[in-house]
Amino acid sequence: MNVNKRELTDWVFKQAFKATGLITIALLGGIFIMLLYNSISFFAKISPVDFFTGSQWDPETNYSILPLIVSTMFVAVGSMLIAIPLGILTAAYISEFAPKKLQVILKPIIEMLAAIPSVAIGFLGIVLLGPGISKLFGIQNGLNALNGSILLSIMALPTIITISEDAINAVPKSHREASLALGANKWETLFKVTIPAGFPGLIAAVMLGLGRALGETMTVLMATGNASAIPKNFLDSVRTITATIAIEMGEVPYQTTHYFALFAIAAILFVITLVINLLGEYFANRLRNYHQ
Amino acid sequence: MKRFYFYCTLLLYSCTADKETIKVKGSDTEVNLAVLLAESFHEKNDNLLISVSGGGSGLGIASLLNGTADIANSSRNINEEEEDLFKDKSIQLSSFIFAQDAIAFVVSDKLPLDSINTKELAKILSGTYTNWSQLIKKDQPINIYGRQSNSGTHEFVKMVLNIHFSPYAKQMNGNAQILEAIKADNSGIGYVGAGYVVKGTTEGIKILTIFTDTSIAVSPLDEGKIASGDYFFQRPLFQYYKAKDYEKVKEFLNFEKSKKGLDIIHSSGYFPVKQSL
Repeated sequence: MNVNKRELTDWVFKQAFKATGLITIALLGGIFIMLLYNSISFFAKISPVDFFTGSQWDPETNYSILPLIVSTMFVAVGSMLIAIPLGILTAAYISEFAPKKLQVILKPIIEMLAAIPSVAIGFLGIVLLGPGISKLFGIQNGLNALNGSILLSIMALPTIITISEDAINAVPKSHREASLALGANKWETLFKVTIPAGFPGLIAAVMLGLGRALGETMTVLMATGNASAIPKNFLDSVRTITATIAIEMGEVPYQTTHYFALFAIAAILFVITLVINLLGEYFANRLRNYHQ
Repeated sequence: MKRFYFYCTLLLYSCTADKETIKVKGSDTEVNLAVLLAESFHEKNDNLLISVSGGGSGLGIASLLNGTADIANSSRNINEEEEDLFKDKSIQLSSFIFAQDAIAFVVSDKLPLDSINTKELAKILSGTYTNWSQLIKKDQPINIYGRQSNSGTHEFVKMVLNIHFSPYAKQMNGNAQILEAIKADNSGIGYVGAGYVVKGTTEGIKILTIFTDTSIAVSPLDEGKIASGDYFFQRPLFQYYKAKDYEKVKEFLNFEKSKKGLDIIHSSGYFPVKQSL
C-alpha cells in the first residue's frame, strides 16, 4: 500500500467519524430549534407573563406552566431526598466496606435495576405502593407526589450509585492511608476524608440522577394522579410536565394554540434538563481533572 | 432473465391490483370496536383490506387531512380549527355515526346517593361543591376521579355540562383504574364508559341515575332510553371520510350498518344508532 493511499484512507475515516459526531450535535440542535420554533408560535398568542405566573393549566382558557413546574419539582426533589442518602451510602458501602465477593454480586444487581421498564415500575405504583400509601396515611387514594417520588428514586438509584461509586473509588488511596495513620477509624475516614474528596463526583451523580427523574414520563403519569392544581404537600396528586405532554399530545388538534403550548412546555423542560445535565457533566469533568 | 422480469412484474401486480386497503385511524375509544368490525368484515370480503390503528381522535383527523388515513374515527365532533384546515385544502368531508356511547357516573355503594341532577353534578365536577355535606347528609370531601384530558370521554363530559373540571380532579389512566379507585374510596365520584360497567363487575360500586329539570331519572344501562336518545350523557361515535372516497369506503360502512355489524357494536358495550338517523 503506497503512502498516498494510506493517507486517503486515513482522511476518509477521519471525515466519517467526524460526521457521526456532527450528526449527534445536529440532532440536538434540530430538536431544540423545532421546540423553539413551535414555542414562538405559542408565545405569539399567549403572553409569557401569563404563562409563568398563572395558577392553572386548563387548555383553551388557561395556559400556565406554574402548577406543572411545581409538580415536577415536588416529584423530582422528593425522589432525590430519598435517592441521595440511599445511593451515596450504598456506593460508599460497596466501595469501602463490602467484601470482594459481595461487591461482585451487588454491582450487577444494582445495574439491573436500571433495566426495569418504567411502565412496570408505574404498575407497581398503582397496585402496590398506591394502596400502601393510602392505608399508611389514612387517605382515600394513594396516587400522589409521594408515590411518584418513591418510584422515581428507585429509577434514579442505579445512576446515582454507579457514578458515586466511581467517584469514591477515584479518591487516591494515600488520602485514606493518611487519615487512618493519624488514628481516624474507618467511619471517620469515610465521612471526613473520602466523601469530601469525592464531592464533585457525588454532585455529578446527583445531577445526572435528577436529570433522569425530571425526564421520566410513564411512571409519573401512571402513579401520581395527574390533578392539575398546584400541590400543597406530598400527599396531593400532581401532574408533571412530561405527563401533561404525554397525556395531551394524543388528542390535541394539530397546529392550534394548545398544540403549540405543549411544545412550549417541552422546550422549558428541555432547558431545565439540559442545564442540570450540563452541571452534572461539569462536575464530572472537574473530578477527572482533579485526579490527573 | 426475461422470465424473471415477468415474474417480478406479476408479483408487484398481485400486490397492488386487486387488494385495496382502507386505513382507519383515530379515537382510542373506538379502536377496539373498529378492529372487531374490521376482522368480521374481512371474513367475508378478503379483497378489501382494512387496517385499524388508534392514537386519538385528533391524530385520526390530522391523518385524514394529510392523506395517511381513509377513515378517521372520532369520539367528538370535528372542531372549527380543524374544519378550517380541511377548507384550506379544499377537501370535502362526510361523516357517519356508527354507534353511540353512554357515560355512566359511579360512586361507592356506601355513599347514600342514588340519583343526581345534572346541575348538581356540574357543581361537583367543576369544584364548586367540595364536600358531600353540601348535597347529602355525609360530611366527607368529594374526590373526583376522571379520565385524562386526551380522552374523548373527558372532553364530552366537559362539553355537555359546560364546565371546566376542578383542578383537583384526579386523572386516571383508564376505566378500570377509575372503578378500582371508587371501590376503595367511599367519598369518590367518577365516570366511565357504560359498556365498561355492563361487562365488568359492579361489586362495591353504584351507578347513578341522571335526571335534568325536565326529565326523569334515567340509568345509562337502560337501552330503550338510550335508543330514544333520552339519557343525558350519550354521544355519537363518528367516522369521518373524504367525500370523494365514498365509493372506496362504502362497503365497510354498509357492513357496520348491517345486522352483523350492529350485533358486534352491541356486544362490545356500545349502543346502535337510533333507527331514524
